[in-house]
Amino acid sequence: MSLLDDLSRSAQSQLSRIMPGSQLTNYAPVERWDDWVELDAEAWAHGERKERRFRLIPTTCFNCEACCGLLAYVDKSTGQIAKLEGNPAHPASRGRNCAKGPATITQVYDPERILYPLKRAGKRGEGKWQRITWEQALSEIGERVGTALREDRHDEVIYHVGRPGDDSYVERVLHAWGVDSHNSHTNICSSGARVGYATWMGFDRPSGDHANAKVIFLISSHLEAGHYFNPHAQRIIEGKMRGAKIICVDPRLSNTASMSDHWLAPWPGTEAAMLLAIARLLLQKGAWDREFVRRWVNWEEVLRHMRPDLDCTFENFAPAVIDLYEEFTPDYAAQQCGITADKIREIADVVATAVPGKLSSHNWRAAAAGNEGGWQVARCLWFLNVLTGSVGTEGGVSPNGWNKFIPVPPKVAHPHGRWNDITWPVEYPLAHHEASILLPHFLKEGRGKVDTYFSRVYNPIWTNPDGFSWLEALTNEDLVGCHVALTPTWSESAWFADYVLPMGNGAERHDVASYETHSGRWIGFRQPVFRVNAEKEGRPVNRTWEANPGEVWEENEFWIDLSWKIDPDNSLGIREHFESNVNPGTPLGIDEYYDMMFRNSIPGLPEAAAAEGLEPLAYMRKYGAFEIPGGQYAVHERVVTPDEIAKAHAVRSVDGVYQVPGTAGLHDNVSDIGGHMPFIGDGSLGVEIDGVVRFGFPTPSRKLEMYSPMLRDWGWPEYAIPGYIKSHVHWEDLDMAHGERILLPTFRLPTLIHTRSGQAKWLNEISHSHPMWIHPSDAEKLGIGVGGLVRITTQIGYFVIRAWRTEGIRPGVVGVSHHMGRWRLDDGEGTPRYSSALAALAGPDTSYSPGTAPTGTDGQWKMTQVKGVTPFESADPDSGRVWWSDAGVHQNLTFPVQPDPISGMHCWLQRVTVAPAHADDRYGDIAVDTGKSTEVYREWLAKTRPGPGPGGLRRPLWLARPVKPLASAYLTPPKQWNAHR
Amino acid sequence: MTRFAFLIDHDTCIGCHACTVACKAEHNVPLGVNRTWVKYIERGEFPDTRRFYSVNRCNHCDDAPCVSICPTTALFRRDDGIVDFDDSSCIGCKSCMNACPYDALYVNPETQTVHKCNFCSHRVEVGLEPSCVVVCPTQSIFAGDIHDPTSKISIMLGRHDTSVKAPEQGTKPHVFYKGVDQAAIDPLRTKIADDGMIWADTTEHHPTVRVDTPGRGTQIVARTAYTTAHPMAWKGKVSAYLVTKAISAGAILAGAIAVLAGHADNRAFVGLALPIVALIFAAATGALLVADLKQPKRFYYIFTRPQWGSWLVRGAFIILGHGLFASIWLLGGLLDSPDLIKAVAIPAALLAAGTAGYTAFLFGQCEGRDFWQTPLLLPTLLAQAGAGGAGLGLILAPFFTLSDELRTVLTWVLLGSVLALAFLIWTELSSKGTVHVELAQRAMTHGPYKRRFWGSVIIGLVAAAVLAIAALATGSWVFGLLSGTAAIIGVALYEDAFVRAGQSVPLS
Repeated sequence: MSLLDDLSRSAQSQLSRIMPGSQLTNYAPVERWDDWVELDAEAWAHGERKERRFRLIPTTCFNCEACCGLLAYVDKSTGQIAKLEGNPAHPASRGRNCAKGPATITQVYDPERILYPLKRAGKRGEGKWQRITWEQALSEIGERVGTALREDRHDEVIYHVGRPGDDSYVERVLHAWGVDSHNSHTNICSSGARVGYATWMGFDRPSGDHANAKVIFLISSHLEAGHYFNPHAQRIIEGKMRGAKIICVDPRLSNTASMSDHWLAPWPGTEAAMLLAIARLLLQKGAWDREFVRRWVNWEEVLRHMRPDLDCTFENFAPAVIDLYEEFTPDYAAQQCGITADKIREIADVVATAVPGKLSSHNWRAAAAGNEGGWQVARCLWFLNVLTGSVGTEGGVSPNGWNKFIPVPPKVAHPHGRWNDITWPVEYPLAHHEASILLPHFLKEGRGKVDTYFSRVYNPIWTNPDGFSWLEALTNEDLVGCHVALTPTWSESAWFADYVLPMGNGAERHDVASYETHSGRWIGFRQPVFRVNAEKEGRPVNRTWEANPGEVWEENEFWIDLSWKIDPDNSLGIREHFESNVNPGTPLGIDEYYDMMFRNSIPGLPEAAAAEGLEPLAYMRKYGAFEIPGGQYAVHERVVTPDEIAKAHAVRSVDGVYQVPGTAGLHDNVSDIGGHMPFIGDGSLGVEIDGVVRFGFPTPSRKLEMYSPMLRDWGWPEYAIPGYIKSHVHWEDLDMAHGERILLPTFRLPTLIHTRSGQAKWLNEISHSHPMWIHPSDAEKLGIGVGGLVRITTQIGYFVIRAWRTEGIRPGVVGVSHHMGRWRLDDGEGTPRYSSALAALAGPDTSYSPGTAPTGTDGQWKMTQVKGVTPFESADPDSGRVWWSDAGVHQNLTFPVQPDPISGMHCWLQRVTVAPAHADDRYGDIAVDTGKSTEVYREWLAKTRPGPGPGGLRRPLWLARPVKPLASAYLTPPKQWNAHR
Repeated sequence: MTRFAFLIDHDTCIGCHACTVACKAEHNVPLGVNRTWVKYIERGEFPDTRRFYSVNRCNHCDDAPCVSICPTTALFRRDDGIVDFDDSSCIGCKSCMNACPYDALYVNPETQTVHKCNFCSHRVEVGLEPSCVVVCPTQSIFAGDIHDPTSKISIMLGRHDTSVKAPEQGTKPHVFYKGVDQAAIDPLRTKIADDGMIWADTTEHHPTVRVDTPGRGTQIVARTAYTTAHPMAWKGKVSAYLVTKAISAGAILAGAIAVLAGHADNRAFVGLALPIVALIFAAATGALLVADLKQPKRFYYIFTRPQWGSWLVRGAFIILGHGLFASIWLLGGLLDSPDLIKAVAIPAALLAAGTAGYTAFLFGQCEGRDFWQTPLLLPTLLAQAGAGGAGLGLILAPFFTLSDELRTVLTWVLLGSVLALAFLIWTELSSKGTVHVELAQRAMTHGPYKRRFWGSVIIGLVAAAVLAIAALATGSWVFGLLSGTAAIIGVALYEDAFVRAGQSVPLS
């Protein structure tokens, strides 16, 4: 009996199913993306069968660097984005995403986002802002930069970028401006592993073919983080389900370690010893790919330089290497690593099953980013790939460059001819890349000054070590004349800017990116969804900010218009690179730019588009991604034809390398090398292997360089072959009895991404706390109670945090996840309130009043938490439902800079003293003495062996370098040469 | 016939929470609640440590207790096996939250109605997979028709061993777990450690085992490293309703005994006071029930779109009948018609007993709460009604002219009820049951509700009995009044402990 009608919907189906019977599919067919109807979920919950019309517009995620595909569902009745799903046409992400992909919508509709250009109204950091127009922002900043360039102060313009999410745009801008001002985040991220890989093969990153491997060896946490989490996790699990064994090296139990067959938790910094022991075991048991090594490794150099007593024949190679690494027995490695010798033998047996060609491996951040000498970890891991012949094979690892495609942008400018010593200091000739974390120290010690500092999706005060030194530099107008923050959201650093210019999230901008996610090459096209939708609806959009929320812009158009302001009459020769070809005398349009790129620079795209009757740009707007045809295995084996050799006038060197005159590979004078040098490599064509000229690798020898002449010639002969460098936190050096421990401060969670996800409510709801992981036995020894407060003292200060006992970490090591510890200085505005604590800051001399901090001098800083995360009122009722309170503790503030003397990598692991908190310590307390920061900076700087190197060069010409200048810019008077020789 | 189901492959799940967020995006799920979530547990000792995951959500049961208990058909099972809901019918009684053994339902703070995973049935309608399936990086979630032998889920089910959560509840759940660690799907074998979870705050609403059960000391085999909050559904208003209901029913029962003992002609007490008390407390019962609804304005849906299988509906009608007969009784008092009172006394008493006792069947429908499934609940509720009705009678007695005999009858009823309660509670607590039951017992006697429980024993049983005996011995109305007061306080304390302890055992 029911007095009212049954409201059940099940009988009312009108919308036709796209699948037969009870079958289900994942996505709407692409031909219906422009007009797709779904039932509204919220109306459905009320028993209402409400049809909703969507336009599905592909774009790419802008959270982590993977740039996975997204499909924005634009509601046709409102023009708003209803949700973001994956893009099934994206070759890397294949329609699937991690938690951060669908969370993009919370960033687009973040009630606290910055919607209009802001200019500071009070003192720097005081938190007073006035809304200005884009025209005013462009005019004022353009005039500043233009003046600097006209006054030949090019080096005073610095562009400092976090993860750009784009492959070529800004490089083009900087060449056009003629400045050597690119400053990246690489040395807080991947410098270590890059140097390890680059010494072997020129390319500085690996591209594992995990899906086809027999053994997957991860010194990374790719099932939850890292480049490129979602695409790689998909393929690692595919490999696992096909029977691959997973080995994961991590001092703490990552989710990846949990899914592995073998979790190895060696003492941090001893990984290289373990890897060398495994390599030696492989050689001893004959489980290595002799033929691959004979053909592709510079073994002659190894024998010639390391064992000149032996005949230079391949038969002598294995015995010689076993001798060279005599020290690295399983027992020695076991003693160093804290893993049993039996386990090391077992792992060697597992690795041996991958011979030939089926070992996939990756060292992403982890040990390489944690330790002094960490670059050797990546180098020793690659050694295993080389020995097992797993280079360029199906199921092995290719150099990243083979699985990545960077299109040549249109209207490329001549390379700039400058060398900026503030980003590329003479102390770090081999670093990958800029000495970005040292900028405040360089400024303070008078190496230069910055007129205009562009920070782009970069939050140095928070993300970098030694944030108070950054704060001191960024608040000193004598050191930094103007700070322009280009950012989608508030950050600790934007708070200290002069201009805060809102830039688009993933669904609000154009970018082109390609990454080495698997064997193959693709490009992904990020699109401003609101703009594309408006244009499809017949509403022309001149500039993306007109269609975006508020006046949120995209950088690409910003740089075009800013370049016009810098050089309005083309007297500097800048404007011409930002001028339309179609309508000369007007700024280049964004469609024109990408039309040129897609028409001319991407092999196969015009044909694929034509097959659908589309222009290349329309094809990319439709699919949002393109997979470049052709296999990418064994690229090194490709034969260089006599025609190619003749055409390039290539000359065979004594070592069989076909070098091209006028390149870094073959020249009389460096100044003879003109134009853009290759990003990596010296421009040689190939190398003769068994009588056939083959493509090889972009090293000077075109082979894999187990023996690195570069390291020998640039001051580090002791590291000419892969080796084991004891870390700055080597366990045997610690005073464990007095509370010294190793702090692991870098590990990431699957749900967050640096400071870019602070406004994503759903992500912060899942993860918002980062207690200090400590093994129960350590907690007992150190007298730290369950959940007790802990004071962690570094070389420059301390922070107070809560302990979390877990069996998931090596005793002797404590771990604090990297993400949390966000703070803001104002309760109303600033770092997103979903993730930040309200903090109070006390500066060097007086109680800190924002903007008045005495600067340029070192001082004592103290930060305390006024309150944690609390519910707040906003346009989104969810902000009133925030139920968590912990925001974490900003540990990075207490870390001194620790740049590796070779790679320049900030060595993240900290030697700390762990003790129960003092009686008056409160959760979140932080104290730092930047005077000590300066001392530590000098200690680490003293470890370097400064260039210039051979030929008076500042850096090997063939080595990778962002925004590579003209070769002549590499030359320097050899005034500092001979240091340490 | 189509039968949709989920299979979660924990051999491949990497615990990334993409499903959680994709679900939030699809359904605009507010902060604080989840349709699906990923639980983490950690097992082992370094270096043989592992973290295991389990993806939790509605199990789309064949015998869905949430559907059986829902009073208004807001929850229903579709022909294709999906358990869906229509929240325009939901009155927010939260009974489904206690019926579900999986913590799958929650009150949406935006709509103030109960929501849950509905298999994205609005997507299934057009042939699309649920959004959690689509997003999953490792394709670890399978959603499909298990009656179609060619579907991926059928093939997976055919090839692999799978488990389900809480099979002993007999709900025939349809979320199948492959490769899952058994402790990860058994909420009684893990607990949140005192130092909390891996990367989120722990609140009082996070389900975890909070008491030790001496006999089962080794049941905890792992720590819960991450899970989501599931606040208690029924609290003070529900325990208060049990008290007012006991008094209301007890007043009529006491009146009926008085009538049987020949006191139908005591107009002031039997004819007027007792039915007025019954009606006032029945009204209070109704008010508490309505006030506990998240959608109080929809309370009448119980009568306009009843789901007759629900004891919430049956109970409402029983209470209504109870009120009706109490009113007729009162009419008898007002008309000074002992005959009318005599005529209604027996049917009124039966309805009063139903009013007192039906909750045993309602709680019995709460499949998630084993503690409430006890067969002793019906006699306990009846005994509480006896204690409540007689107790209130003794409180009122001094203000009326009562024969000694009637007062003695009331006192004996009270004493008998209290002794019966003592016996029932002792039996209940000394009996063995599932781990769930023992944890709830322990929570009541040694855990967070021990003050209430022992208070009820001391005041409601010991003191009430001693005072009742004193009243019988001395004939003093003072002892009678005190004993009645103590008995009612005891019922209130016990019910609050019982209601909360029953819900204190984690379901996820």
